[in-house]
Amino acid sequence: MSGAVAGEGAAAATERRTIANGVWGMALLIATETALFGTLIATYFYLRFSSPRWPPAGIAAPSVALPLALAGLLVLTTIPVTAAARASRRERAGTAIGLLAVALVLQAGYLAWQIVLFARDAGAVEPKATAYGSVYDTLLLVHHAHVALGLLLSLWLIARLARGVTPYRVVTADVVALYWVFVAVVGMAVTATVVSAA
Amino acid sequence: MTALDEPTLARLRTERLERVWAERSGLLGWLTTTNHKRIGLMFFFTALAFFLAGGVEALLIRTQLIGPNEHVLSPQAYNEAFTLHGVTMIFLFVVPISIGAFGNYLLPLMIGARDLAFPRLNAFSYWVYLAAGLFVYTGLAIGQAPDTGWFSYVPLASKQYSPGAGVDFYALGLIFTGVSSTATAINLIVTTFKLRAPGMSLNRMPLFCYAFLAVSFALLFALPPLTVATMLLELDRRLGFEFYDVTGGGLPLLWQHLFWIFGHPEVYIIILPAFGIATSIIPTFTRRRMVAFPLVAVAEILVAFIGFGVWVHHMFAVGLPTITTIYFAAASLVIVIPSGIQLFAWITTILTGTPIFKTPLLWILGFIVLFIVGGLSGIMFAAIPFDQQATDSYFVVAHFHYVIFGAAVFPILGGIYYWFPKVTGRMYHERWGQASFWLTFAGTMVTFFPMHVAGLEGMPRRVYTYASGAGWSGLNLTETLGAYLLAAGLLTMTVNLVASAFRGALAPDDPWHGDTLEWATTSPPPAYNFAVIPTVTSAYPLWDDADRVADRRRLARGEMVLAGGHEQPASTTLDAELDEILEMPSESPWPLFAALALAGVFVMLLTGHVAIALGFGAVAVALLACWHVWEPEGAA
Repeated sequence: MSGAVAGEGAAAATERRTIANGVWGMALLIATETALFGTLIATYFYLRFSSPRWPPAGIAAPSVALPLALAGLLVLTTIPVTAAARASRRERAGTAIGLLAVALVLQAGYLAWQIVLFARDAGAVEPKATAYGSVYDTLLLVHHAHVALGLLLSLWLIARLARGVTPYRVVTADVVALYWVFVAVVGMAVTATVVSAA
Repeated sequence: MTALDEPTLARLRTERLERVWAERSGLLGWLTTTNHKRIGLMFFFTALAFFLAGGVEALLIRTQLIGPNEHVLSPQAYNEAFTLHGVTMIFLFVVPISIGAFGNYLLPLMIGARDLAFPRLNAFSYWVYLAAGLFVYTGLAIGQAPDTGWFSYVPLASKQYSPGAGVDFYALGLIFTGVSSTATAINLIVTTFKLRAPGMSLNRMPLFCYAFLAVSFALLFALPPLTVATMLLELDRRLGFEFYDVTGGGLPLLWQHLFWIFGHPEVYIIILPAFGIATSIIPTFTRRRMVAFPLVAVAEILVAFIGFGVWVHHMFAVGLPTITTIYFAAASLVIVIPSGIQLFAWITTILTGTPIFKTPLLWILGFIVLFIVGGLSGIMFAAIPFDQQATDSYFVVAHFHYVIFGAAVFPILGGIYYWFPKVTGRMYHERWGQASFWLTFAGTMVTFFPMHVAGLEGMPRRVYTYASGAGWSGLNLTETLGAYLLAAGLLTMTVNLVASAFRGALAPDDPWHGDTLEWATTSPPPAYNFAVIPTVTSAYPLWDDADRVADRRRLARGEMVLAGGHEQPASTTLDAELDEILEMPSESPWPLFAALALAGVFVMLLTGHVAIALGFGAVAVALLACWHVWEPEGAA
């Protein structure tokens, strides 16, 4: 992408050599969000290692295979999202929108399936009864909220790219891709944390 | 066509910049502004209003303690006063005035930029801060002020022992203010990395900017533990979760860990901006470059980094394993090293320079004295047996007021005097300025030094009153008189500055012969900051006369004037080579609307209307979308 050029800056502007401001902003947001999830995961293990039994008596151990498979699916969706960012850089709006739409369907499916699993567990893992239930539900809910926000970001990006590619939207595509990579990595970390009780 | 002379060309270009960067006048202009200086001023005056509130609370506390068995405040009102005093001074005064006012107003000027990297996010930060502050104080207005202390330990803060809404105002209010601080921190970091004037490589960046960079990073990693701690507290209180309740397997100590993982870095978040202000004032008034510039820069960053590894020294008395406490005691000693580097660098610069004892430097000298006292008492807490004896006594109150008021607020007050001519275009009254310093310094010493003695004699902190035979009456009387002396000093400063803002002598662009770029522009600076993006070839650009002459020539030639729109050069991160020209956003109402929607979220959460809170959240997201519909010509 050519560097942004405006007015008298035309002569000075060249191919951008550094990271765009918007990507910097998202990277720093991810840094602080990583600290937030790190704190939640640390809370989980602090409570776990202070407890004689984890999960507490009467609560079944979480299933392992399905949550890990779902987390793997979320990681895979970062491929079309990052490819969409590359396509938008080449000003191929249609390709970018298609890739984002594929990812969006998978990510929405992931969230829907997670919500079903969460609802299924709700009877067995009661957050008002034990610290285990409290931290289990909180970790998953905070993660799900991030997935939901990602879906909104992707929808917004598709709507913007449908009106054509501009330098600003190229940066937006990079920002959204970066966010999804973060959500996928965090999703894996959260899943690994909650299934560790098994 | 007749050729125009250089001054005429320069004037025409400046007039074009004036037109391009002009914002609406009147109230609407302030509500929609994205200009960093206007936002910085809004942060400044709002923070001062909260400083006044926190100061009144402090005077009420001291008046209650002036003698034994006083009844100026009820026990409940006393609890609310010391809680709000701490919350206000830390979250609503020192941090916002540091990063929000000083960082906002000065950092772009110091690096030769025309605005922050994200101007609309900057406006959003301010409106969120204002809404969060009002949110916390609404609790007081409706008789539900928080009353469990600024660190609000559980189980005292649990629903069982604090059934009112005070703790909810506290917990949600802190999450709310955290949104503002996080946004400002991200903005300052990206601005520092990307918008430095071409030539200002990292090794030429002012030490002020290093301090604010370190603070911003510290905020990004310190605030999440506080957000998590308060979120879990609300889940316990509102939904009956079990994070801190032992009956369900929760742990009260979890709160202490989470709070102090935030809380101790917060101490450095509070004092690092003050270090940055000191490193601005000292070279100017000693007429020499800072001693050990690279070491001071590294030390500023190290303080922020090591600050994350010492939190348990706030918990030495809670029964943690010895091996744990010893590690944190050692870390608490290690952090003295980078602080000491800066201290010795300031002292050596003053001793080897030619100090001119104007008011700003006096405040910095006062800061150094108070920081040494507060630092020495701080080291004492690294000794575990001493800590276990002195914890929760007035000795602790003495220590942290030397650090927070002495080390953090004194440089802020000195900084207000230092940059007053730049911001207002007027000079303050020097003699009254010096008088205000001596009154405040004496008041600080008289107020806080006897607290060491009271603490060692066994007076616990946060007691509503004390018996006449306890032996603390004389000390408390002295402390209270000192508090009023301190208030008189601050009142003198206020009168001086308010009168000077209207009737002071006109200030030149560079009244102090300063060394950083803010002195290169007019007093007060224009909306676009610099008519020409400044040339930078050293860490003391204002002392490079040839560069300033070159700037004037470039203005006449039209080089790097960038008057085609809201244009701002972006540079490479390390070497600050020109990378691209950005088109920056201008006025926007969306940040204010988004902040209002976010306020709706928190109010609804407080009142227990979760579904409506989600509705406000959706509105906030929609407003953010509106915010991003306008696109600059270049990528941002």
